[in-house]
Amino acid sequence: MIDPKKISGPLTQETTQIILECISDGVFTIDYNWEITSFNRAAEEITGISRKEAIGRHCWEVFRSNMCEAECALKKTMEEGKPYVSTSAYIIDSNQKKIPISVSTSLLIDKHGEVLGGVEIFRDHSLVEALRKQLSASFHVEDIVSNSNAMKKIFTILPQISQSDATVLIEGETGTGKELMARAIHNMGPRKDKPFMAINCGALPDTLLESELFGYKKGAFTHAVKDKPGKFALARGGTVFLDEIGDTSPAFQVSLLRVLQEHEYTPLGGVEKEETDVRIIAATNRDLSELMEADQFRQDLYYRVNVVKLFLPPLRQRMEDVPLLVERFVSKLNLRQGKFIQGIDHAVLASLMSHTFPGNIRELENIIEHAFVLCQEGIISCEHLPGFLVQKKQTPCQAPVDDPVKAAQINLISDALARNNYNRNAAAKDLGIHKSTLFRRIKKLGIKL
Amino acid sequence: MKLAVTVWGNRISPVFDAASTLLVAEISDKKISRHYYTDFDPESPVDLIHTLKKHHVNILVCGAISKTPASLILDQHIHLISFVTGNARQFLDSFALARTVEKKNRMPGFKQSCMNVY
Repeated sequence: MIDPKKISGPLTQETTQIILECISDGVFTIDYNWEITSFNRAAEEITGISRKEAIGRHCWEVFRSNMCEAECALKKTMEEGKPYVSTSAYIIDSNQKKIPISVSTSLLIDKHGEVLGGVEIFRDHSLVEALRKQLSASFHVEDIVSNSNAMKKIFTILPQISQSDATVLIEGETGTGKELMARAIHNMGPRKDKPFMAINCGALPDTLLESELFGYKKGAFTHAVKDKPGKFALARGGTVFLDEIGDTSPAFQVSLLRVLQEHEYTPLGGVEKEETDVRIIAATNRDLSELMEADQFRQDLYYRVNVVKLFLPPLRQRMEDVPLLVERFVSKLNLRQGKFIQGIDHAVLASLMSHTFPGNIRELENIIEHAFVLCQEGIISCEHLPGFLVQKKQTPCQAPVDDPVKAAQINLISDALARNNYNRNAAAKDLGIHKSTLFRRIKKLGIKL
Repeated sequence: MKLAVTVWGNRISPVFDAASTLLVAEISDKKISRHYYTDFDPESPVDLIHTLKKHHVNILVCGAISKTPASLILDQHIHLISFVTGNARQFLDSFALARTVEKKNRMPGFKQSCMNVY
């Protein structure tokens, strides 16, 4: 039984000590020399420093927070005599781990009202931070980054698609990242340790394409001096990515259909059939259903290929991704070229946001690469951009603009309207927004039609 | 030999990741022969590496440092002495003489592996 007398009345020093040892928040106190006078159990656990080592040392040598130099909350409390509650910061523990924390500070006052020093209470937010990172990871799959709703939907279903063995058809304009998406599906699936073989079907004539895919036997043609395996054989157990499948001839479509139906093929000049064990991912920048209706693409092949279809939206319909992509390309090029470019300035961002990117992400990457040639260090500015971006009428780089975001929105909507012969329904569809949203924005931004 | 110390006033910065000033010192004949200060962007370890390379620094001395910038610095073949504390000039004088980190300059948590030189 607990003696009620022991838990009622004012807290003794011993009881306070027990409470301090039990709580999960780190607590330490300092004197007027900034030396630590007490250090509780949770503080030991969070910092990785024992009480024995901590007591008597300067608080910044033990606490090691990013606030110590410039914004020490305890210093403010000691100077102003008022507490600070829940300031976000991080500390570096003895294992070189950066630990996100929240900090509260207060004066340490004895029972006579005399100030003895300060108290700092800190809470480990590693778990919260880990959850936040997990959430932001939903904007990032393999090498693909996006913040747009259309892409986030794809990211959500990508794990299931990757785990299945179904044939995937990726549709999207040129430069939207179809091959990156195909690689992501391969890398996230059970075939990731086997080869990924990509081939551009639109770039090769039929015979060359067949020899590349199916291989050939010695003597199949004049220069075939020995057997050569094709991509289906080389990718055994892996994935074959057939890019620009919409540009293939009807004859090649028949050969491909046979492989997809029977999982076997015959190398050029061969007589025996060889089995395939590959996953097929196909991609096209054309609308395969339209091609099928125009009898330019076989219906049976269309249904074989179109088991799971992904549509990658053009960049102009996900302009919110431009800053994310720019950051990615700048980091990539810094690493590749050994430069230290810090990013782009506001005018460049506004200029990019007002561009329609017919070449999509590839075009944006090329623009940043162009800027890297001209910019030696610091921040990319308008003078480093290609001429066609700077010479555009009413670009924010040329005209003085008070609000670059507003200017970018006006340009984006005006361009979409011009592209669609000022049909507002079509422009809204082009921009990927509802028509009523477009009407509201036209009114709000004062765009004259 | 050229050393750089991340400093906060006359002290060694407690946290490398939040530091923004470097004290660069040249050591010859066991003495500091020349020293000067320079700034860098604490948000960008890449910027610091650029600065260190520009000033031909061989050894970086700092307080607590997290793993990511530490490995970036080591990848550039720059020696790193971390978890060091105290007065920056006094540390440099004693280091120039003895090439070691005295006990009073070691932060709690200092290990031999923090002295990544020689």
